[in-house]
Amino acid sequence: MSNKLHIAVARRFWCCAVRRARFVLFPTLTALLLTGCGGGLQSVLNPSGPQSEHISGLWWFMLITCTIVFVLVMILLFAAVVKGRKGFPDPIAPPEKETRESERRRGVVVAVATAITIAILFVFIVDSFFVGRGMTAELDRKQGINIEVTGHQWWWEVRYQDVDASSIFTTANEIHIPVGVPVTFSLKANDVIHSFWVPNLHGKKDLIPGKISTIWLQADKPGIYRGQCAEYCGHQHAHMALWIFAEPREQFDAWRRAQIQSAASPATASEQRGQQVFLSSACVMCHAINGTPAGSNFGPNLTHLASRKTIAAATLPNDRQHLAQWVDDSQQIKPGNRMPPNKFSPEDMQALLDYLQSLK
Amino acid sequence: MHSKKAKFVSRNGRALLMLIVVVSACKREQRQFDPPPTTTNPAIVQSELQPGGAPQPQTSTKSPVEENANALSDGKRLFSLYNCTGCHANGGGAIGPALMDETWIYGSDPASIHSTIVEGRPNGMPSFRGKISDYQVWELSAYVRSLSGQLRKDVAPGRSDDMNVHRSEQRVERKTPQQSTIPKAAEQP
Amino acid sequence: MTGRNAPGFLLLIISLNLAFAACARRENSQPSGLPNRVQNQPTGAQQTGVETDDGQWTMPAKDYASTRFSSLDQINSSNVASLKLAWSFSTSVLRGHEAAPIVANNTMYVVTPYPNIVYALDLTQPGGPVKWKYESKPASASQGVACCDVINRGVVYADGKIFFNTLDDYTIGLDAASGKELWKTHVGDINKGETMTMAPLVVKDKVLIGNSGGEFGVRGWLTALDATSGKIAWRAYHTGPDADVLIGQNFHPFYTQDKGKDLGISSWPADAWRIGGGTTWGWISYDPDQDLIFYGTGNPGPWNPEQRPGDNKWTCGIFARKPENGEAVWYYQFSPHDLHDYDGVNEQILLDLPVNGQTRKVLVRPERNGYVYVLDRTNGQVLSANPYAYITSSKGVDLNSGQFLYNETKNPQAGKVIREICPAAPGAKDWQPSAFSPRTGLLYIPHQNLCMDMEGLEANYIAGTPYVGANVKMYAGPGGNRGEFLAWDPVKGEKVWAIQEKFPVWSGAVATAGDLVFYGTMDGWFKAVDAHSGQLVWQFKCGSGIIGQPISYRGPDGKQYVAVLAGVGGWSGAIVAAGLDPRDPTGALGFVNAMTDLPDATTKGGMLYVFALP
Repeated sequence: MSNKLHIAVARRFWCCAVRRARFVLFPTLTALLLTGCGGGLQSVLNPSGPQSEHISGLWWFMLITCTIVFVLVMILLFAAVVKGRKGFPDPIAPPEKETRESERRRGVVVAVATAITIAILFVFIVDSFFVGRGMTAELDRKQGINIEVTGHQWWWEVRYQDVDASSIFTTANEIHIPVGVPVTFSLKANDVIHSFWVPNLHGKKDLIPGKISTIWLQADKPGIYRGQCAEYCGHQHAHMALWIFAEPREQFDAWRRAQIQSAASPATASEQRGQQVFLSSACVMCHAINGTPAGSNFGPNLTHLASRKTIAAATLPNDRQHLAQWVDDSQQIKPGNRMPPNKFSPEDMQALLDYLQSLK
Repeated sequence: MHSKKAKFVSRNGRALLMLIVVVSACKREQRQFDPPPTTTNPAIVQSELQPGGAPQPQTSTKSPVEENANALSDGKRLFSLYNCTGCHANGGGAIGPALMDETWIYGSDPASIHSTIVEGRPNGMPSFRGKISDYQVWELSAYVRSLSGQLRKDVAPGRSDDMNVHRSEQRVERKTPQQSTIPKAAEQP
Repeated sequence: MTGRNAPGFLLLIISLNLAFAACARRENSQPSGLPNRVQNQPTGAQQTGVETDDGQWTMPAKDYASTRFSSLDQINSSNVASLKLAWSFSTSVLRGHEAAPIVANNTMYVVTPYPNIVYALDLTQPGGPVKWKYESKPASASQGVACCDVINRGVVYADGKIFFNTLDDYTIGLDAASGKELWKTHVGDINKGETMTMAPLVVKDKVLIGNSGGEFGVRGWLTALDATSGKIAWRAYHTGPDADVLIGQNFHPFYTQDKGKDLGISSWPADAWRIGGGTTWGWISYDPDQDLIFYGTGNPGPWNPEQRPGDNKWTCGIFARKPENGEAVWYYQFSPHDLHDYDGVNEQILLDLPVNGQTRKVLVRPERNGYVYVLDRTNGQVLSANPYAYITSSKGVDLNSGQFLYNETKNPQAGKVIREICPAAPGAKDWQPSAFSPRTGLLYIPHQNLCMDMEGLEANYIAGTPYVGANVKMYAGPGGNRGEFLAWDPVKGEKVWAIQEKFPVWSGAVATAGDLVFYGTMDGWFKAVDAHSGQLVWQFKCGSGIIGQPISYRGPDGKQYVAVLAGVGGWSGAIVAAGLDPRDPTGALGFVNAMTDLPDATTKGGMLYVFALP
């Protein structure tokens, strides 16, 4: 008894609410959603490579299809409500007796609706199957760049592989790739599971300790694309970002040649002192600068630190002030990160900054 | 019907109340990210022979981390990253002496271990002065003590992620520390 | 024979410069009655540069061909049963004693492990009293950078001088008669992890030495010092640019993979060659006819191979060089891009061997990776490579390309435990040198039978600390015996007989013209076996496990003596020598797991034992 009453009341309420709000609510919600997804640097909706084209194609296809279905369902529901109210004014009256005919009609409606639903889902499955195939298909005939990315808490170690061993080098958090060339990523992790996600270029792929997973991607137009760890990995998961710089081939090659070189030797007296500070302090326990005795790879390789745009896994701009703050007490910036505070005298700190900023 | 419902509510209510009481008693472990440096530790007496009658009361700097599981697991991580494992293996020793046994060459209390790491020792233990931050040294020395079961079981690290080499620090049998008669690594005549 | 006791004859010998350069090719001073080795060759294997034996033992390998063969035959299988301890001497040091006692001019020279004390024992007096003692007093901190116990592999005698290396990277020249220090040259830096453990070799006026520290990311080298002044004559690095490796116009490796410019840089990731290892801590042989030295290079650093893609030249290989200027002549890499710590530093025995119907100048190398290599020593061509141990880590050696064929399923990986890698990290045979008898034509190889589980770990290079990056657990290979002493026919390339030992056979071997072979075990038994059959004919229980190199010499009384240093330790015996905890299988780089019962079998203590017939 009371249940039926509830339904009736609810129906009335929803009718009124929908009638009042339908012109306002829908566009507002949609707009809200879309502004959240839009924007350029880190967006599935702004594809810049073949895989992300596939993904966004699938995404739009599903969105449009589902929207159409949703709108149709809403219209039918609305029609049913309106019609039902007209033809069935008294909710407390006993139900109409079911005839064989109406039963058959209902059966047909349900069957058709089910068939349409299955057909749509089937189309989705087939489409996503082909999208999936399309994203991995070219793995076999990969040419070009091979990059090994290792997830750490909370930064990305990036090693450019090469058949010529001496062209292999290591950098961190900023990945340069040439435009129009497929780039294969071998993904590893040493501590916990991370996930590599550069939405403009590809979907997510997990980095799992003890396993090597592979994806390839390609940037069709030059630009900067932001990536983000997409698997919760501890305190600073949110600040574990990376940048992909897609550049014309010549620019990439020039960058690559520069990265292979050992670090610049300190030129000025201050830089020399800075190097001494670096080598005689805790820095040397975790960081490597090629060409110096510093060779630890627990923290990011700093050989060409000054050539990077950001520090702290794309958290801060790489300028003197932020660098100083980071070296001095990174725990104030990214609490829980693995770098301990370093208390240097002001002179030593200035020298160290001079040195670090000379590592072009 | 009504009484049944009431009974149900009261029973569950009681359970809920108990749960709240229990949970409120839980103290979440504090994780220190930006710890202040400790004061320098006093020199530790390493001989039981103290001439002149009454021995000095042993004073020791208290380790700031020995009751902190997070610091211990950090210590375990650093033990490997700073290459302590290179000489002491996973506690069994190699170039350096074993750390999981009862024999201590330069003292077993946290301050002595802190001092061993910072100052080094003559028979090959390097000095990490200026290379490892004070707080991390405390984390390391706490971990070193956990290797021979000196710390509480709920604080000591559990199974490691890598090759399972021996009982985890939580399950290791406690060894009563003993001062070694001669430095194990130095058998110079 | 009694004439040799006369002081006059002694002086004559000294004046004839007997000890060294002559020892290689001196003719016609052979005492009568010694068998001619060349005639007594059942299988056709033949030692090169046939030398006459003056009954001395001036270098650990006995001769430049590294045969460790003594032509003394007083002790033979018919009388060996009555071999008795003649006298003994305590070295007062408790760590692993890997050195060979050196005998020259009726004096025995023994160097201890750290603290590297040299004793000169007077053999003319009963009981070998100390003639002089030299304490080199190495920096005690050097013990902290010696990977595998603080051992020393011996002194070398030449031209009235004694040369040896100290753990803290000094090479010292002493006056053999007085023990007076002639020169002391600092050649390495313990703060980079460099130590020195090998025995030098003297060729002409050069003292050849190498560094240890492949587990510390040092840059390996071989250095020649001037024997008179101690000044560095040349240094050849084993990574880096050709100029540093002393590769020039005359470098002609046999295989294409070893040809090219600056391979010591291009076969490493950027700058990794600076900390790439390739140390020299094993044995050097010298061929006077070709005027070439041959020696091997150690493992690349770190052990975790994922951190050093590339062939990692010039590690884990063998160099032929000119002794005057160090110029490289050829090179062959046994284990390119080494995956399992298969250092290429083992001894090479120089022989003339029939190969496909013609006699070739070869060097025979029981290599750590489990194969006995026969190389043409004129050009570095691999003539054969036959397994002498149980191997899972590789499938063989392609004789056409010279390539070592790894079994990829046993490649170590970071974060993953790879099981049953055989041989284990110390290889099928580590440093312990084998002996060759020209009378039987057999090579006597002391070695181990170990497998391992290995997990790669990220290694951080922090100068002066270990640079390994691996969790390793070793255990006995198939059969359960951890050691084996085997006789190998280098012509047929097959095993003749083998003796299974419980523990790794970590001592050297000596073969004598009495057709006996001597070796020691880690539980302290010093054994003599029949050179033909391998039958145990005599044994003596020493106070501590034996990892030293036995020798045989003729005393001033004309009698044949056999001497060996006991004193367990080394990498394999670290569990006893350093008191490691058996509960951690990864102790001593994983060796502890295989040796947990050693502390029950032996205790430490350095002692020299000298045996003779009554």
